[in-house]
Amino acid sequence: MEISVKEKGGVTVLTLNGRLDLASGTTLKEQVKAQLKKGNTMIHLNLAQVDFINSSGLGALVSIMKEVRLQKGRFTLSNLATYVQEIFEITQLSHIFEIFATEEEALSSFHTAVAR
Amino acid sequence: MVADFTRIYPTEAGSEARLIDDLSAFLAQHRIDAQIGHHLTLCVSEAFTNAMIHGNKWDRTKSVSVHLSVNDAEVCADITDQGTGGLTSIARRPRPGLLAESGRGVDFMYRYCAGVEFAEVEGGGLRVSLRVPRSRTKHVVK
Repeated sequence: MEISVKEKGGVTVLTLNGRLDLASGTTLKEQVKAQLKKGNTMIHLNLAQVDFINSSGLGALVSIMKEVRLQKGRFTLSNLATYVQEIFEITQLSHIFEIFATEEEALSSFHTAVAR
Repeated sequence: MVADFTRIYPTEAGSEARLIDDLSAFLAQHRIDAQIGHHLTLCVSEAFTNAMIHGNKWDRTKSVSVHLSVNDAEVCADITDQGTGGLTSIARRPRPGLLAESGRGVDFMYRYCAGVEFAEVEGGGLRVSLRVPRSRTKHVVK
């Protein structure tokens, strides 16, 4: 799993490439925690290049969501592949996470929220 | 046609990625439908991580054995750990809450596999046997 991190308009965007499983989920959690430590609590994950996720990967995302909420931040996801979307739906996690079709839509939602 | 594959993986975090690479190559070699292959990969990975975490309890001296076979009708996978059984804890496993960080793996197996069996093996480990048909079920709409 490759993870690239960029800052876009106050939002920390992590772009993932590869499989989100036990090992990569742990790496992802560590990277997000490092961002939270720096005070970056607006986090977006672009999952366009994630072609596999299992319960360990889902667990990592749930853990991140809880951690971000604890820090009073916001955590969004975008660009879920069909298979990944299916996993979110059958576990009903699609009702819990803020999921957007595109990264642009997700980032724009952060700005809308700030403007309110 | 019958083809087999057996590999032994050490109990360490990196083994899951190697298993998925091996499984993907096996499924491609036997031209298994992409969606079926994806679901089987998910279920095998769940059984595999359960074997390392709950079966072998991250004991690096223990390993997980994976046996795959394919014939004209189905693909089968046996995942065996070197733990101390675990049938009771599987039977009594709590349903994961929506915000649970683990506990969804066995549910995936029952959802996506035509056959799921758990058995304690001689010597004490647990074997998970998964079976999926090679072709997708055809639903007839009347």
